[in-house]
Amino acid sequence: MGANAQTSVPTFTAGEVLTAANMNISARTGIPVFADATARDAAFGGTGEKTLAEGQFAFLEDSNTTQYYDGAAWQAVASTSGLVCVKAQTAVSAAASATADSIFTSSYTNYLLLVNFTTSADQLCIRLRAGGVSTATGYNTQQLIVDDTTITGARVTSQVNIRIQQSVGAESSSVIHIFNPQLAIPTRLTMHTSLNNSNYTTGLNLNMRASNQSASTAFDGIELLALTGTWTGNYAIYGYSKTV
Amino acid sequence: MALKINDNGTDREMTADEAAEYKAWQIVAKAETQAEADAIEAKAEAKASALAKLGLTADEAAALFG
Repeated sequence: MGANAQTSVPTFTAGEVLTAANMNISARTGIPVFADATARDAAFGGTGEKTLAEGQFAFLEDSNTTQYYDGAAWQAVASTSGLVCVKAQTAVSAAASATADSIFTSSYTNYLLLVNFTTSADQLCIRLRAGGVSTATGYNTQQLIVDDTTITGARVTSQVNIRIQQSVGAESSSVIHIFNPQLAIPTRLTMHTSLNNSNYTTGLNLNMRASNQSASTAFDGIELLALTGTWTGNYAIYGYSKTV
Repeated sequence: MALKINDNGTDREMTADEAAEYKAWQIVAKAETQAEADAIEAKAEAKASALAKLGLTADEAAALFG
């Protein structure tokens, strides 16, 4: 057990005489605030000071960070989130198209796009965008569709978009990973769609697609658009953290 | 009827230029979609024809060939 480990969390009673030990319990708990790391280090271990030991917390004003002592060194409490939302969930209602610009930056290499959708009549499609303009050439897709016991594969090249799926009468969901869209190299996408076409039982299909936009173009956004009519649903985009 | 776009979270009608680009895209995209569907259907028909010549059902063929 470390020097500062507690074996109880006491409650004092009215009229009780508090000893120095009792008072130290209060004085040594909580997160002490220091101007900086130098002040922090000077505050432990001296005469009349608390012994620095594993489990000690500290807050540093100069960096606005909370740290803990692991027995050998001070460590940051906050950890980097693995996924960072770069486009808040956006509702789309009976629109032919939805655009999201200025999303892909050098802050992230890979992105996650989640889409829930129904279509009024036809396919929901996706195009990549640069500077507010959708690119309508150079899309290639290999797809695998599983419909009950029937498995179908197909590949299409040099298309004007990537088709996600048609979802009329029931809502479907797509998980789309987008790799390196912000770099001037071919952009790759992988897509899994839980497709409910017309209903949630016999309309259930699994649709997987490997796609790319083969030009050496840096993209900063996407467009989700209905092939015919409109689509309704929502989408959100996340960046995958590049650091731990 | 005006085409509606959700522009970075804001609903509005497409501009004339946007609508023209969207409609031009639709024509090509629909043709590509139909071509893909036709190709898949043609493959399915070829498979069914081959199975018929062998006298097998699709389930029997799957049991034999995986």
